[in-house]
Amino acid sequence: MKLEYNGTEQVPLGKDAVWAFINNPEKVASCLPDVKTVVVHDATNFDATVSIGLGPVRGSFKFKITLEPQADGQRMNVKINGGGFGSVVDLLAGADIIDNGNNTTTLNWSGAATMRGPIATVGGRVLDAQAQKLIAGTFANVKTRMAEQG
Amino acid sequence: MSQISLNINGKTTTADVENRTLLVHFIREQAKLTGTHVGCDSSSCGVCTVLLDGNPVKSCTVFAIMAEGHEIKTVESLAPGGVLHPIQQAFWDQHGLQCGYCTPGMMMTSIALLEQNPNPSEHEIREGLSGNLCRCTGYNNIVKAVQQAATAMSTQAADD
Amino acid sequence: MTTEKHAMGKSMKRKEDPRFLQGKGNYIDDINLPNQLWMALVHSPYPHANIRGIDSSAAMEIPGAVAVVTSKELNAYKVGWLPTFHGLDKQMVLADGKVLYQHQEVAAVYAETREAAYDMAELVEVDYEPLPVMADPYKSMTDEVILRPDRENATNHIFNWNVGKKAETDAALEAADHVVKQHMTFQRCHAAPLETCGCIAEFDAMGRLQFYVTSQAPHVYRTALFLVLGIPEDKIRVISPDLGGGFGNKVPVYPGYVCAIAGALVLKRPVKWIETRTENLTSSFARDYHMDIEIGATKEGKVTALKVNTVADHGAFDAAADPSKYPAGMFGIVTGSYDFPNAYANLDAYFTNKMPGGVAYRCSFRVTEASYAIERAMDILADELKIDPAELRRKNFVQPEQFPYQSPLNFIYDSGDYEKTMNVALERIGYKELLKEQAEKRARGELMGIGLSTFTEVTGAGPSKHFDILGIKMFDGAEIRIHPSGSGIIRTGSKSQGQGHETTWAQIVAEELGLDPQNFLVEEGDTDTAPYGLGTYASRSTPVAGGALALAARKIREKARKIAAHVLEVSEHDLEWKDYKFNVMGAPSKSITMQEIAFAAYTNPGENEPGLEATLYYDPPNMVFPHGTYVAVVDVDRDTGETKVRRFLAIDDCGTIINPMIVEGQVHGGLTEGFAIAFMQEIAYDDEGNNLATNFTDYLVPTSLESPSWETGHTVTPSPHHPIGAKSVGESPNVGSPAAFVNAVIDALSPLGVKHIDMPLTREKVWSAIRNAEALAAD
Repeated sequence: MKLEYNGTEQVPLGKDAVWAFINNPEKVASCLPDVKTVVVHDATNFDATVSIGLGPVRGSFKFKITLEPQADGQRMNVKINGGGFGSVVDLLAGADIIDNGNNTTTLNWSGAATMRGPIATVGGRVLDAQAQKLIAGTFANVKTRMAEQG
Repeated sequence: MSQISLNINGKTTTADVENRTLLVHFIREQAKLTGTHVGCDSSSCGVCTVLLDGNPVKSCTVFAIMAEGHEIKTVESLAPGGVLHPIQQAFWDQHGLQCGYCTPGMMMTSIALLEQNPNPSEHEIREGLSGNLCRCTGYNNIVKAVQQAATAMSTQAADD
Repeated sequence: MTTEKHAMGKSMKRKEDPRFLQGKGNYIDDINLPNQLWMALVHSPYPHANIRGIDSSAAMEIPGAVAVVTSKELNAYKVGWLPTFHGLDKQMVLADGKVLYQHQEVAAVYAETREAAYDMAELVEVDYEPLPVMADPYKSMTDEVILRPDRENATNHIFNWNVGKKAETDAALEAADHVVKQHMTFQRCHAAPLETCGCIAEFDAMGRLQFYVTSQAPHVYRTALFLVLGIPEDKIRVISPDLGGGFGNKVPVYPGYVCAIAGALVLKRPVKWIETRTENLTSSFARDYHMDIEIGATKEGKVTALKVNTVADHGAFDAAADPSKYPAGMFGIVTGSYDFPNAYANLDAYFTNKMPGGVAYRCSFRVTEASYAIERAMDILADELKIDPAELRRKNFVQPEQFPYQSPLNFIYDSGDYEKTMNVALERIGYKELLKEQAEKRARGELMGIGLSTFTEVTGAGPSKHFDILGIKMFDGAEIRIHPSGSGIIRTGSKSQGQGHETTWAQIVAEELGLDPQNFLVEEGDTDTAPYGLGTYASRSTPVAGGALALAARKIREKARKIAAHVLEVSEHDLEWKDYKFNVMGAPSKSITMQEIAFAAYTNPGENEPGLEATLYYDPPNMVFPHGTYVAVVDVDRDTGETKVRRFLAIDDCGTIINPMIVEGQVHGGLTEGFAIAFMQEIAYDDEGNNLATNFTDYLVPTSLESPSWETGHTVTPSPHHPIGAKSVGESPNVGSPAAFVNAVIDALSPLGVKHIDMPLTREKVWSAIRNAEALAAD
């Protein structure tokens, strides 16, 4: 099952502050909804354990997350692979970071997720709505945390 | 682990089980009554059907611990002394079974159905058994068996 | 003792039933051995991925954990791969380096309890590197991604098979007044017996493998285990207990079996493994044929040529359960009941990232696909030529005087009377009245359909010159021992899964010997005691094992003749077998029953060898060709797309009938599976290779509520070569009925211009077809 999403977030921070935030694994991880544990390996690699409940599929999913900052500082790609209970999720996401000049920054983000296993079959009927909630939640958190920081 | 005592077919079995132990596994493994089967793990097929206080339940969807204090009946209770229950006789007479795997659950559901509706129509029988799958018989002869049992049980009731 | 003579043809109640009715059946999960371990399997969530590593450390921390086994350990014991049945491919036991389909077995875990084993399986961590997925044979045939680099040729094409005369067929199609063409798919489905598969493996104190397993073919398993493990057969005992249905699902040797045996060998304890329903639905499949069929005909509707091109999706390994020389099974039966002067069938099989299989699901090796294709295509031809489908069939049937009939695709049909059977069916269903009712309903815009299927199948594999599995010829053995009392024991290499062998085998022997069928014990499934036989699938039990039994009984009768001559003090040439006893010709008062002879065989055999028993192996001279006419009457709700099967009549001709009650039961069951395939059963995949039908909430099995009430009947055209004239019936209803259902629905929709819908005909698909047709009409 393949799902694609995209959206736009306005952040009340300058581009440099945003860039610094999204290059910090600890901070990025803390924005995932229902995150239980985070293990940071280095500047771009970390593991996160997240509680997931999709219909009858419930439990902890373990994700390997890799940040791929693009050299020009205009874009951040993120690779997320992981799963649990015989299910896996492979997510490729990316955001273009646009400096609006007035100390605000626009994040134009998009992502494509492939889900396999019970999460896609048993949970498939509610997956789309849940995934949207998850992604929207993540970006809302990003915005809130950045604002707190700012 | 918890120690539980279950009343199955009038006999008490006491055992230490994990909280997640399913009733069907308790019946098969602790009480050693293997006539109740497991078929689908998702409450779809009904081969695990037993009576809990007279109501049919899928014993793969009940934790053993939840059945404490209730009266459980399995297929092994139907023919005390080897005399077949009218539903067993009817399934035999009407060729209502082939591989026999669904048969115990199918008969337990049938008994509960006939308790509630002693004279069901064909449609009511088909509706009443729709939680129990059979891959062999195509249901025709199961319906006939329930009809035969309905007649036999009402005659028996009248004689009592 | 009362003797029920004339056992043949009686609706004798089943001898096996009392134990099932009392919950005393002995199925695999009812067996537990002291000190046994439980095994569970780890499955891949990816359809195609490299395995970078497997970490079992967390799994081994579970209390009760004993061991984790991967392909590395199996390869060390040289059991990492299994040969497939026809020997053209091999398949991984546990994923070796990469996974090729979703739910493929990656590791086996062993624990003290079932719960601990399942807990372990969840904690085995596998590091996958996903690879591009080929979930469609039309995609994999491009060879863009090679799925099986382990094979010699770098291609996803497995084999080409063809039969018939291509040039003549093409020329005849070119010259035909009218040609119909249709692409149709027989969807991937699964037999789904209510009991899943399972096994217990134990090496006993003598080092002998005691292998309890859900097998429709115990002897084939023993030989396969010898080939895989190198253990000689005297050190292997395969015991197949009561089976909770099989339908072909219990023919393959599954990876779990090998893992259980490997575990038992290494851990020196019995190992038990019972499939979950998901494991059952994701480890094998049936069908998945994509067929392009063409029929050429004169404008009067006489068929002149048939051509079928098939793309077969075989999944990740070529593990189709077909005889060695028949990689497309009996697909050559695709000319059906019709006298095609020219025919050609061509098939290409491909690997995909799907589970392997191609099991004969209530089907004699691809007969179901073939039968569906021809019966659908004949209806399409009738529709295009505006000829009544029954009339079109009548014009083209192979005629009774043409038997034995040499078909253009290399079968020699034994016997049949197709028109007679169809006439019985049309009369009983009231065909003329139905047509009249349909015309009235159509005038009112109501959608009513009548669907016919006048199929012929081929069963009873088979003659040793053509048929083998793993090199073993497809004969069957039977052993009969008559005890002094005139009772006896019957053993065969077949294996009942609900078909009632304990009853019908006793009836065959009792009829031949004039003894009471109630006094025969029928024993199957234990390779230590049963004579060699290839097992029960592909409707081969009655044609092959049944033939062996009748001939073994006749061998006993010949021995009995000698003893009778001794007891009656006459020459054996003066004896004739009549009225179920030996009579002295010319002296009507002098006779002796088989029961008396049995006693004499042990008390007064004279110069004859004492005892009364026989073992016989039967190599059938030909296949048998059951046929039938099925009629479905449906009403389709124009607004919702819901199809209601109002009536369904099956007139079967399975030759001599041993037990009418059991035959009818087989027909009911097979029709219900045909109904399921036509309307709901499908193992669907999405483009990413996700299996979308992994449990009974997604793989739909019909309940009593939606299953139609079946009407049955029969004609009898005995097989001329079978010892008792019997053919077979278990599969006919599943082979013949899908086309009848689909023909009926398409007939209902034909006023709207709908020509074809691929199965399963779900409400949604029918609804969409109606809406699309209405939209087209509105344009």
